[in-house]
Amino acid sequence: MRFLRSALAALTATGLAASALLAAPLRVAYSDWPGWTALAIADQKGWWKEAGVDVQLLWFEYGPSMEAFTAGQVDAVTVTNGDGLVTAAGGAKNVAIMLTDYSNGNDMIVARPGINSIADLKGRKVGIEIGFVTHLLLLNGLQKAGLTEADVELVPTPTNQTPQVLASRQVDAIGAWQPNSGEALKAVPGSKAIYTSANQPGLIYDAVVVTPQSLATRRADWVKFISVWDRVVAHLANPDTREDGIRIMAARAGVDPKEYAAFLDGTRFLTLAEGHKIMSSTEEGFGSLAGSSRIADAFSVKNGVYATPQDIPSSFDASLVAEVLKKE
Amino acid sequence: MSRWRPFRSELPPGRRRLLGIAAFLLPLLVWSLFSYVPWLWHPMIKVTEPAGVTWLRVDQLVPREDFAKLVEERRAADLAIPEGKRANPIFFQPPHAVARALYTAFTTKPVLRGDKWLHESLATSIKTIFWGFTISSLIGVPLGILCGAFASASRLTEPFVDFVRYMPAPAFGALMVAIFGIHLEPKIAIIVIGTFFQQVLVVANTVRRVDAGLLEAAATLGAKRRHLVLRVLLPASLPDLYNDLRILLGWAWTYLVVAEVVGVSSGITFFINQQAKYRNFDNVYAAIILIGIIGFTTDQVLGWLGRRLFAWKNPRPSRFRAFFGRLFAGREVLLFPDRPHRPAGGL
Repeated sequence: MRFLRSALAALTATGLAASALLAAPLRVAYSDWPGWTALAIADQKGWWKEAGVDVQLLWFEYGPSMEAFTAGQVDAVTVTNGDGLVTAAGGAKNVAIMLTDYSNGNDMIVARPGINSIADLKGRKVGIEIGFVTHLLLLNGLQKAGLTEADVELVPTPTNQTPQVLASRQVDAIGAWQPNSGEALKAVPGSKAIYTSANQPGLIYDAVVVTPQSLATRRADWVKFISVWDRVVAHLANPDTREDGIRIMAARAGVDPKEYAAFLDGTRFLTLAEGHKIMSSTEEGFGSLAGSSRIADAFSVKNGVYATPQDIPSSFDASLVAEVLKKE
Repeated sequence: MSRWRPFRSELPPGRRRLLGIAAFLLPLLVWSLFSYVPWLWHPMIKVTEPAGVTWLRVDQLVPREDFAKLVEERRAADLAIPEGKRANPIFFQPPHAVARALYTAFTTKPVLRGDKWLHESLATSIKTIFWGFTISSLIGVPLGILCGAFASASRLTEPFVDFVRYMPAPAFGALMVAIFGIHLEPKIAIIVIGTFFQQVLVVANTVRRVDAGLLEAAATLGAKRRHLVLRVLLPASLPDLYNDLRILLGWAWTYLVVAEVVGVSSGITFFINQQAKYRNFDNVYAAIILIGIIGFTTDQVLGWLGRRLFAWKNPRPSRFRAFFGRLFAGREVLLFPDRPHRPAGGL
């Protein structure tokens, strides 16, 4: 009898826990990148509520957001496709369920006056954070100019210090993303961006990745989560509402809307249909997510970011976006 | 002149106050001089007229020698000459800009639903400090007293505490997030880690410095060990313990900035980091000064309370002297834990 009662109690407890889990909001960690601060628009406008899903956006610094995901404290996090693989290699498997954008100029190689192209970098010093996307961008540019990594001298430099390092004249160029890249341009008169992510679209895709567990147990909610994205993109594309959208994004970043608007030009937002095409394409190269991730994976292994190549096909799932598109 | 420089005795209250105010006005004066006197420092040129130079923009900052070189080149080529005036680099903001930033930061309404006013962010930070320090003290002070009173407790605890003390608290960030989640708890944990281990050693040291004569007298009068600790050791060291905690509270504040980047961005640190990222240094300094004001005010209030609580100990206390005395007394003990400790003179 006692056994029965305790078994019953345990069962009720599990049931309660399970229903609590179902009712809990989707916890999404995001950070300061235009493709991700745009999520705040959906939140502020109440579009997720309309779609019937409870979403809790949690504002982080980029590094800590991945830490929180790795620690299992959030259900989803916004990352670049390359960093999604890094996070997976670190033990936190994740699945990209949608693409928000690709970097279209915000990541730059900025050179001091007198250096006008990547080819001019031969034999020069470049301040760069080793193993980060800007490093990959530099290699990509060098390759196009017929050079290799051995032709330049890399000076390991934290990205947020690149403006000062370029200004100090200890290096001839730096690699950074916004706002640091813009600050480097401002800090060194006559400096220019000799190579940017706009020269290689698809080098850096930005995505929302979720835990496999959450994807399995709450797939329908994640489909609802995705379903509002086209409204966000439209809100920013429409000249009438664009300003309102930027106001929300800038407020999230804590800066002046005018200042923040400049960063949107370097970000190519992707509608769900565009994202789906990139996610489902099997081509090699930067036109497909799989191709871009394979290049990022090889780069990370080569630079010792992690040791073993990651499984690319299981790192994303285009079927949720497909489901939203089919409903429309 | 000797009225202004009395040797090893107190200043009259009026002069004390005057010098206290000057302690703040002098740095402000130096800051203002470098900000407003154009021939002091000002290593940059702020462009007012680009005169057709393609890469120059109005309000752009250019190093002075670069600008001079440019002007020379233009003059040699007989082209229009750009103009500008001397300016300081962007990370050196004048007092009025910081004052304005401080004012605007408080009066700006949060744009987004669910966002916080600056005073609410500050309240979050203060809450983090409060709980971090309280939790640390609840364990650290009793443990410190035990270590100060009993050599066995000291030997069992202090070597390990000394070992952990050198570990950088921020390095535990990811672990704290894994254990305590992403909200206030991991931040509080970082403050506790940063404060606790120092606290045990400082408290133990203060308790050890209680006048041995008091203990002997009590023992002669038949006091038991429990009474020696509770009735003699504790009351005798209480005023010093109080001051220790005041200094340790300041210590806790210095951990705030590293604690608050752990987990969800919040509090005053988020404001500082984000504004620094976008190089709005006037806002950064405003926030730093704000932390200074809060810390200083708290310390003054606690000091005022302390003088009233422990009047017998501090007939006319000098915080400055007490602080440095304690600092060096503490250092000696931390470096040479086995050496017998002299009572620090004059305190």
